[in-house]
Amino acid sequence: MDNIFMPEPHKILQIKKLTAIECLFRVEFEKAGEINFGQFFQISLPQAGECPISISDFSKEEKWAEFLIRKVGTVTDKIFALKVGDILPMRGPYGHGFELSAYAQKDLIIAAGGSGVAPVRSLINHIEKNKSCVKNLNLIFGFRDNDSILFEEDIKRWQTSFDVTVTLDKGSGKEGKKIGLVTDYAAELPLVQKPVPDLQVIIVGPPVMMKFTAQKFLALGAKEENIWVSFERKMSCAVGKCGHCRIDETYVCLEGPVFNYVKAKQLID
Amino acid sequence: MGYKLDWNDFRIFLKNLSSDFQVYAPKRFPQQGRYSDTDCIRYAKIASADEIEYAQKSTYPAKEVLQPINETVMYFVEGKYIEAKEADERPYFIFARACDINAIARFDDIYLKNGHFADPLYQKRRQKVHFALMQCPEKGWDSCFCVSMGTNSADEYGIGIAFCEDGVKIDVKDTAFEKYLAPLKASPADFSVKPVSENIVKVEVPEISSKEIQQKIKSLDMWHEYDKRCLECGSCTLACSTCTCFTTVDITYTPETNAGERRRIAASCHIDGFSDMAGGHSFRPTAGERMRYKVMHKVHDHKVRFGHNMCVGCGRCDDHCPAYISFSTAVNKLAKEVKRLEGERENG
Amino acid sequence: MNKDININQLRTNCFRQSKIPGEFMLQMRVPGGTVDAKYLSFVQSIAEKWGNGSFHIGTRQTFDITGIKYESIADVNNYIAKYMKEVEVYLCDVDMEINNHGYPTIGSRNIMGCIGNRHCIKANIDTTSLARRLEKEIFPSHYHIKLSIAGCPNDCAKAHFQDFGIIGVTRPIYLKERCIGCGRCVKVCTKAATRVLKLVDHKIQKDACCCVGCGECVTACPASAWVRPNKKFYRIMIGGRTGKQTPRMGKMFLNWVTEDVVFGVIKNWQKFSDYVMGGKPEYLHGGHLIDRAGYDAFKKVILDGVKLNPEALVAQRILWSETEYRSNFNLKPLSMHPVVPPRD
Repeated sequence: MDNIFMPEPHKILQIKKLTAIECLFRVEFEKAGEINFGQFFQISLPQAGECPISISDFSKEEKWAEFLIRKVGTVTDKIFALKVGDILPMRGPYGHGFELSAYAQKDLIIAAGGSGVAPVRSLINHIEKNKSCVKNLNLIFGFRDNDSILFEEDIKRWQTSFDVTVTLDKGSGKEGKKIGLVTDYAAELPLVQKPVPDLQVIIVGPPVMMKFTAQKFLALGAKEENIWVSFERKMSCAVGKCGHCRIDETYVCLEGPVFNYVKAKQLID
Repeated sequence: MGYKLDWNDFRIFLKNLSSDFQVYAPKRFPQQGRYSDTDCIRYAKIASADEIEYAQKSTYPAKEVLQPINETVMYFVEGKYIEAKEADERPYFIFARACDINAIARFDDIYLKNGHFADPLYQKRRQKVHFALMQCPEKGWDSCFCVSMGTNSADEYGIGIAFCEDGVKIDVKDTAFEKYLAPLKASPADFSVKPVSENIVKVEVPEISSKEIQQKIKSLDMWHEYDKRCLECGSCTLACSTCTCFTTVDITYTPETNAGERRRIAASCHIDGFSDMAGGHSFRPTAGERMRYKVMHKVHDHKVRFGHNMCVGCGRCDDHCPAYISFSTAVNKLAKEVKRLEGERENG
Repeated sequence: MNKDININQLRTNCFRQSKIPGEFMLQMRVPGGTVDAKYLSFVQSIAEKWGNGSFHIGTRQTFDITGIKYESIADVNNYIAKYMKEVEVYLCDVDMEINNHGYPTIGSRNIMGCIGNRHCIKANIDTTSLARRLEKEIFPSHYHIKLSIAGCPNDCAKAHFQDFGIIGVTRPIYLKERCIGCGRCVKVCTKAATRVLKLVDHKIQKDACCCVGCGECVTACPASAWVRPNKKFYRIMIGGRTGKQTPRMGKMFLNWVTEDVVFGVIKNWQKFSDYVMGGKPEYLHGGHLIDRAGYDAFKKVILDGVKLNPEALVAQRILWSETEYRSNFNLKPLSMHPVVPPRD
């Protein structure tokens, strides 16, 4: 019998330090073709434990996947001790991610706060390479300060293709960065300067950020059914067994982490 | 086919059975109750019919056989994984009541069906489980409400059994068990397990007609009562026949070794830490919210997903709560509140 | 009225002199502080017929009936014979002759007890039953002993202030395979007991030597991972006392002993008293007798013939800590020191 809990070994190809506490790990992944945008893996380190980590990019051709890992717990502490060439045991991919078809040929805004950039990064990279798959894309990212900006290289590159707004909660607004919250600058995005009946919005970030950003876009005329969010919950098994991520009749690990806002607004703990 | 066996023959029957099965039954552990000079009744592997505690309801449910409180998923040695093996690979023969057997069907929902993933550890055991359906007293016990939950009878059993003063009555449903009776002087008897037809406690399961009502339930005042009364100890969930949640943890045996294991430990949504995420954020901080989360799961949420309620009305949560919080009372209160909410909606 | 009253004899019969001329207070023993409620009407009859109608709950859990006239004492003694017979002989199996002369020895040093595990969720033992079984070991005797039995180390029964204080303790067994690692026992032990538990790798580690044996971990555990063993254990405190001179709290003499040891030790009390007082009973706290003999001599006599269970721990020394209301209270001419003369 196949044991779905048995992790598979993945060789670490690259480790890139993004901030003082966040690194981007690239690992070998044979079945990268099975990954969908916004899905997650269970990193499963023996003697440390398991934790869910969203896939921040992947390459079907080169057979790798990338994970943004923040040093916040026992598992991630151990991951940070690993070097290029070491094995990162994982199982996955799991969950329901972003359905590209929902945004096809439509205007799309992606709003992400902090490490919320990670789950949407693969999607943005995909659109960057396949620009015709959406009509227009605006990006707005919020970070705490200059030191906590993630994926700065990617953001700089995306700026050459899309309208990109970066906000900082505090600090000086160098290099075009704005001071304030994502909600403060949402109304300035080019795509909301006209009627937005079909505008699609993806929002990923801390719970409070997602809540207020969704309300902001609703106020700007976006429809509930066109807003998409990605939930973060304690996911211990990732396959609907352990029960920790359940909200009402919904298992975040199975039906999520990406939800349409019509459903998400009812997922109150 | 029904039989009557005297106690000595029943002993032999069980002994014969034990050569092919690992037999589990509720067993009395003297002095191991919560308070001194009280006993604990819980499931254990038994070697003799005399160990079966049939006269009283067990403190802890039958689920412990299929999902032990602690279970090793795999071992690690020098970074390699080794799947945990069962010490005893014989099939299971479990003495259980109708509520217990229905509860295992709820376990199947989660462990075999949910997300279309089958849990390999559970599945391995579940495939070889055979039940002996134990007949309950006429009305069950004072906290039972299986009739209200529709779980007073069960279909999945190999034999049905009633314990009488001088022996047992057995209904052999699965003919595979006939052979264990064959060498005995079992006299034929007209017997089948009689389900409890009425409990002392009656529970009205709330009929929640819409998402709107479901959301309104979350802000009902009735939950605040539990903020102060509930100790958040999790006794109810440990005693619950259908609570399936677990947490996965990794253990290193000693700091000097590179060996350890990955373990599942029973988890409780009433206990701090259940929803904690790396980084510290958690959900449902109050006891009232946790009570609401549990109650709704048992009498609504699970049903939305699987078509039947999770709660099987065994009443063990009420028996085991050190603070005298009654789940059945909470459900009845909720049903009343839901009626009020439904009424408000109809009247605009 | 005739004031020629032998108050010593009356005290022996459990009648205490009142400040009101010619009046006495009867003290009735209530072993363990629990008897059938029907005896309340018995008490009421005495109080209303021969006393002043009032009733005091004795500080040692006796039934105290005040205002009994000297002239009524014979009638009262006659009346309480039934109570003595039912409580002392029938209930406690005490070997004593029941007559119309009242209590044969001073009964006010009643065996006290908290309510114990017949009711209390904290108690580890049935204090009432133990008190009733111990009664015959210490009563009637002119060698008095103050005993109290507490169901748990909370010590509501004030075992710390007795000649012998018996405290019901437990040595919880940890069923690791049932532990969910919730840490509730750790919290409870920290809050209510001696912080001997900690959570390491989702399981409990215990500093067993500092465990007070209260059993709070057992009560707290939602999964029955902490359970009481099938055997009862006791702690014995000795030498506690109140009084005008040198009140002090008792000290731990024995820990983790079985009931057999408790009985063995209590049985030896008569022998120890005899050793110290040489057949001439004095109305003294047990602690004073231990002082007079010295702890080592006490230990030797009191443990004589007692077979200690394997878990038993015995105090090697005892460092008393007393309240001395007068400085240098213990400094006095050698001739004033009470001593035990050499005994065979």
